[in-house]
Amino acid sequence: MNLISGIKLYIEKMCSESGPGMKILLLDKETTSIISMAFSQSDMLQREVYLFERLDSGRSNERLKYLKCIVFIRPTKQNIQLLATELRNPKYSAYFIYFSNIIPRTDIKYLAECDESESVREVKELYADYLCVNPNLFSLSLPNCMTNLNWLPDALTRSVQGITAVLLSLKLNPVIRYRAGSQVAQLLAKLIYDQTTKESALFDFRSNVDGAAPPLLLLLDRRDDPVTPLLHQWSYQAMVHELLQIRNNRVDLSERPNVPKEFKEVVLSGDQDEFYGSNMYANYGEIGSTIKQLMDEFQRKANDHKKVESIADMKNFIESYPQFKKMSGTVQKHLCVIGELSGLTTKRNLFEVSELEQEIACKAEHSAQLQRIKKLIADERVSIDDAVKLVTLYALRYERHANCDTSGLLQIIKMRGGNTQIVPALIEYAGTHVRQGDLFNMVRITDAVKLTRHLIKGLKGVENVFTQHTPLLKETLDDIFKGRDLEPQYPAINSELVPFRRPPQELVVFIIGGATYEEALTVHQLNNAGHKVILGGTTIHNSQSFISEALMATTGTQFKHTKSMLKYCNPDNL
Amino acid sequence: MSSNPFESEEEPSTASDEILEGFLCPICRADLKSIDFLTEHFARQHAEEEDALKSVFKDIFTKAKKKILNNFEDDRERAVAGAPAASSNAGAGAAAGSKASNARTRFNVYNFMSRQTVGAERSYLEYFQTVRNPRLERYASETNKLIIRLHRLLKDLPMDAVQRKQHEQQTVPWLDGSSVKLCPNCAKSFHIARRQHHCRLCGGIMCHDCSRFLPLENAMQLASLSAIRSEPLHQLQQHEDRAIRLCQHCLWLLDTRQDMQESRTCRPLLAQVYEQIRQLQQDVTPDLEMYQKIVNSLHEGETIFTLADAGALRGKIGQVAEQIDLRSKRILTIHSEPGSREEALKKAIRLSCVQAIKERMLSLPPLPDEALIRQIQERKRMETEQRILTEQRMAMEAYERAGHTVGPSTIADQSSGSFAQGSDLQSLNNWSAPQAANTKFSVDDPLIEQINIIKGYIKQARQDMNFDVVETLELNLRELQREVYERQRNSQT
Repeated sequence: MNLISGIKLYIEKMCSESGPGMKILLLDKETTSIISMAFSQSDMLQREVYLFERLDSGRSNERLKYLKCIVFIRPTKQNIQLLATELRNPKYSAYFIYFSNIIPRTDIKYLAECDESESVREVKELYADYLCVNPNLFSLSLPNCMTNLNWLPDALTRSVQGITAVLLSLKLNPVIRYRAGSQVAQLLAKLIYDQTTKESALFDFRSNVDGAAPPLLLLLDRRDDPVTPLLHQWSYQAMVHELLQIRNNRVDLSERPNVPKEFKEVVLSGDQDEFYGSNMYANYGEIGSTIKQLMDEFQRKANDHKKVESIADMKNFIESYPQFKKMSGTVQKHLCVIGELSGLTTKRNLFEVSELEQEIACKAEHSAQLQRIKKLIADERVSIDDAVKLVTLYALRYERHANCDTSGLLQIIKMRGGNTQIVPALIEYAGTHVRQGDLFNMVRITDAVKLTRHLIKGLKGVENVFTQHTPLLKETLDDIFKGRDLEPQYPAINSELVPFRRPPQELVVFIIGGATYEEALTVHQLNNAGHKVILGGTTIHNSQSFISEALMATTGTQFKHTKSMLKYCNPDNL
Repeated sequence: MSSNPFESEEEPSTASDEILEGFLCPICRADLKSIDFLTEHFARQHAEEEDALKSVFKDIFTKAKKKILNNFEDDRERAVAGAPAASSNAGAGAAAGSKASNARTRFNVYNFMSRQTVGAERSYLEYFQTVRNPRLERYASETNKLIIRLHRLLKDLPMDAVQRKQHEQQTVPWLDGSSVKLCPNCAKSFHIARRQHHCRLCGGIMCHDCSRFLPLENAMQLASLSAIRSEPLHQLQQHEDRAIRLCQHCLWLLDTRQDMQESRTCRPLLAQVYEQIRQLQQDVTPDLEMYQKIVNSLHEGETIFTLADAGALRGKIGQVAEQIDLRSKRILTIHSEPGSREEALKKAIRLSCVQAIKERMLSLPPLPDEALIRQIQERKRMETEQRILTEQRMAMEAYERAGHTVGPSTIADQSSGSFAQGSDLQSLNNWSAPQAANTKFSVDDPLIEQINIIKGYIKQARQDMNFDVVETLELNLRELQREVYERQRNSQT
């Protein structure tokens, strides 16, 4: 169960099936990013793919009849139309056509009628239709999937296709469970189920040789856990995404001052960059010491190279130069990124902010926290975005608290000129009236097991104040692997496959409304413990993108639960 | 396949004398090629057979499945996943091992790429072809007809306009235009200003605006007529006279044919040079592996290869690299429009060549120097001596324990065996060599003669840089030399 190798194997298949010879790869916008997540340009050069062309833009009319053309596109109406035009007037000698998802037979017929010069050699569906971020994490790159608290139709279709592709590329025919009470999850589950039954021949994988429990697809709703994406994260990958934004494995540093020219755009791919691969889940503190080691090693090597005295030294230098160059590139790149991170951390006073964020998320001490929030958000060193996030966390946590003083906090935000709309929007999006489960560990005296667990946790104390919080997902996954009864909270749509109280061998989790890198870390830890879990989401969120998704999702809805806050909101935002 | 458990499923009553092998269906005796197909076939085709029969087979199936599946799956997975696993494991293994205990971090997740097969797929090629091919066949026969007509038309095309028209009408009967009031293509009415015209290949009617013209030169080429007769053609002045009037459809058919021929035979200079580069890259791959092996062997302190061998091979690889470099530069010099795709292609090829040279050929591990090798060999020799000593001691002890039962005869047996091996080698390599006189009393030991011959071969192989052969020969030489030594010692005692 590795998404990156899933995509890689597909692409390698494409390249090898077309035989030897110079090749061009014809892509659309989305397949371009799919491929770029798994392969670098030099990887493609090695496979004799020398040119890349977009089917949907900037086509030239140059005919290169000695090139083979590998077409890898999503099966959209527009793409089919464009491909038909291309086939009627072929520019390359042979076409190997691969669709990234299930395509209607009528479209194949249409294309066949257009291939008048017999240039098509292969027509296939290969289900590489998702962005593989990490080996256990995929995204569909849908920054907004809801409007008016329901699915955007395009996003729904794309999600069905993306999840279907994940299942097919990993050869899984799963039990489908969805979050009870979540309309969006239920609808998605139904559509995926329809797809698997309609294409039952495709999903007919020889399953359960040894009678193992079938795989499980779990569809969750982001609104059950709005806290995780709001918290500041301290693991490398999550932190980079929070502070600098990762898009398709790329970090844009061009806006930052003092960044050297060659690092205006940095590629962070664990597959190609070994340092990143083994440190993406490391803490900020750990990564500092690791990069220092790397620096030392690099300096030692650099020193070796400095004293080039004899011919032999020179020869050695030339011989090891390529590796040296590569290594220096890696070191400089990560130094540059970490430098930016540390600059932002100090500038925005993030240690203090993060500590308070974690406290709010994990401990119920209303009055003390309220005082600290008031003090912090009035502090000019704390950025207005962070202040809004703190208030949002507070409002989510103490929504039903007797002395809840969200209004007072909103007033301070308003005075600082922040967007006060965000807080009520998030409550409408993911307040207690929507959420299921106990996000904040609201321990009731009746639940003896939970109570003791909580007490023990309290006695042990916390190792690290910045990483106290564990996402709700962890609890959910633990329940699943312990074989607890899932039916009440996560009913199955195809119950005929459900095994009797046995944990699944393979688990695919999909979060509607976006996953986070912190949850990816949770999944990673479970995988290290021997489970097979894959996490996906409509997108990968950081706090900013999550807030804008919540704002989008609540546009057009009547705010029913936050009337008391509305008077503090900027009138132009309403 | 003799151990294939499926064979036992043949019903004895219906079985003929002929022995069938493979994944046979027990009922219809069809060969299903793989276990997956067989189970599927059985489930689908014979689902309604009597229950008794079914249960019997089910039993056999599950047993056999268990037995076979393990092997098969492993093989398949290994075949598919072997390559990516090997590459990613080496580098990251260290990182994973050292820090695995820290659950939060430092576990390079990119190690787990092995054991994954390529995902599901579905091919539409067959369906695509059933839609496309009949159409193409129709076009092909139509086009062939046109070309035959074109050939006849052009063969003795008269210069004179009137004669030419007659000739054209003789070859292709023109449609009678008296009842055609409108142009079939653009639906405009014919009158004095818009006269009827005929396609010279199908005889169809169209107006002048809908006519297309195929230049005679192109037409000659299409009809594969030589250009000898092209001289008088130049005399034809007017544009329309130097071309053949065609309807759109016929011209399109001819164009498509020309296009397909072109794309099948298109091999410009760029493609040719590129092929040379690929060939060079392919040829050098075994050399690179061999070099790695030689360097490893030198570092191990073995004496099969010499430093000179490695140096020579390195030189050879360097030469190939140079040739590739040269050719990729040559590709760059081929003319193309600036800013065109061809230009980008040339640059990409050059880039990939430079990369390949840098990563595969120039980054070869450096050779150890003479002194270091001697040092390693010395150490190795010491170790071997040490080991031999201990082994001897142990052998002695064992010998004493066994109570002198083992005689020296075993050694003699061994010697004849390895001598046979030596002569095998001779025939195997097919190099002519004088047959050694195999007499027991000859003064020259045949073994020594053999050794000399092999030494000659090794020298020759070294010159040819045939290091695989050098390796086998060296190993054989070792054995022979040891043999001679043993014999001498035996004869002394």
